[in-house]
Amino acid sequence: MDYFLHELWISRFALAEGFLRTIEISALSITLGTLAGLLIGIALTYGRLPLRLVSRAYVDIIRGTPVLVLVLACFYMPSVFRVSLEALTAGVLALTLFCAAHMAEILRGALAAIPPGQTEAARSIGLTFPKILAYVLLPQALRAILPTWINTGAELVKASTLVSIIGVGELLLKTQEIVGRNFLTLDFYLVAGLLYLIVNYSIERLGKTIERRVTQP
Amino acid sequence: MTSRLQKFAGMLGLVILSAAIAAPAGAQSKLQEVLGRGKLIVGTGSTNPPWHFKDEKGELVGYDIDIAKVIAKGLFNDETKIEFVTQASDARIPNITTGKVDITCQFMTVTAARAQQVAFTIPYYREGVGLLLLKGGKYADYEALKAAGGKVTISVLQNVYAETMVHKALPEAKVDQYDSVDLIYQALNSGRADAAATDASSLRWFIKQNPGRYQDSGYGWEPQTYSCAVRQGDPDWINFVNIALREALTGVEFDTYKASFEKWFGETPPAPKIGFPSELR
Repeated sequence: MDYFLHELWISRFALAEGFLRTIEISALSITLGTLAGLLIGIALTYGRLPLRLVSRAYVDIIRGTPVLVLVLACFYMPSVFRVSLEALTAGVLALTLFCAAHMAEILRGALAAIPPGQTEAARSIGLTFPKILAYVLLPQALRAILPTWINTGAELVKASTLVSIIGVGELLLKTQEIVGRNFLTLDFYLVAGLLYLIVNYSIERLGKTIERRVTQP
Repeated sequence: MTSRLQKFAGMLGLVILSAAIAAPAGAQSKLQEVLGRGKLIVGTGSTNPPWHFKDEKGELVGYDIDIAKVIAKGLFNDETKIEFVTQASDARIPNITTGKVDITCQFMTVTAARAQQVAFTIPYYREGVGLLLLKGGKYADYEALKAAGGKVTISVLQNVYAETMVHKALPEAKVDQYDSVDLIYQALNSGRADAAATDASSLRWFIKQNPGRYQDSGYGWEPQTYSCAVRQGDPDWINFVNIALREALTGVEFDTYKASFEKWFGETPPAPKIGFPSELR
């Protein structure tokens, strides 16, 4: 036990660095992915046919691809075209693509669930489409997708472990480095597990708080 | 008409794509590129002592790292002009072929199949399997273990080939497989195993980390050669790296190399004999 605490103390900076990197990667890809996902979701529901087809293809292809494959593809495929992405950039890109596809599909579902009568009513009082979207559809749809969105966020934090294979020093890789040095396999994976739990529990709490504030009776 | 046009477009796409993949980065050698850039980009791992791992200060150290430093010293007369790219073992070949790294030094086993995809440098280590014994334990060396036949138990890391591997050296020994490296050592400590079979390098590193407690059985088998690897089709670059490595193993940089070898394997490499260069015999 003393040995473990000693090793934990020595590893504090490495663990902190990995922890922050994990949060950075997750936060970046959740933010960018959500923004992109909302746009694609709207395109998917209300776009003209060509746009709708392109969005549909994007969503289906990305959702049908394992995140691991996406990470490897983002890291290696650009170099065919002489663009060399850094591991961190490639990792965030892969997770963003993944997040966007999921968000788009979630939003499409929520928009489709709003009775068409509302759009018709909004149009009949003279609102333009952007205004209908901003005042009538999105406020309802965003409330509806909140729980699923939080869930996607938690999934993304877990998926961020996959970028360790292209050499991004996030929490998992940092933990592997520590275990590689001191062989305290179980102990340090437990520590990493706890840290992931803390992140995801915070996300869940945050989600619950927002939900409480925006829910309308 | 359309189909011919499509065919043409398809061919054109294919040609562009294959040109993009196959063409080396300009006509200049990697050597000039690296010198111009002012630093060497080395692909390696970060989780396997004594090869490449993070020490207690969080710095990347190990035998592979020292080998990379020898090359950087040869290039810039400054071993710190390196950027290490951390990569998983299965990223070693793709990172070379896509040009993400100038060279990979990551305990890479030389095989003929891999040599079809990358260019290997001269070897810098020969890995094998060895047997770790407790100092002053029941069995003093490999001969004693072998003589004991079916009475010895060997702990080994779980692996499909683990049993076959141990039986190559000790045909009658009982083989106990464990999930992780620390457990095979613990089995030896607790007396549940008479010897632990593991990579010779890990074994030497472990002996060095725990002075006075363990010893090597003196027998090694299942040889495999370790080399750095670079992209194919660039003779100047691989030639440069080979010279830098050769002169570390046998020439002016031998003292640096020797210090590193002793540090990571607890053993002194054979000194190059002065006089006729023995590698040309």
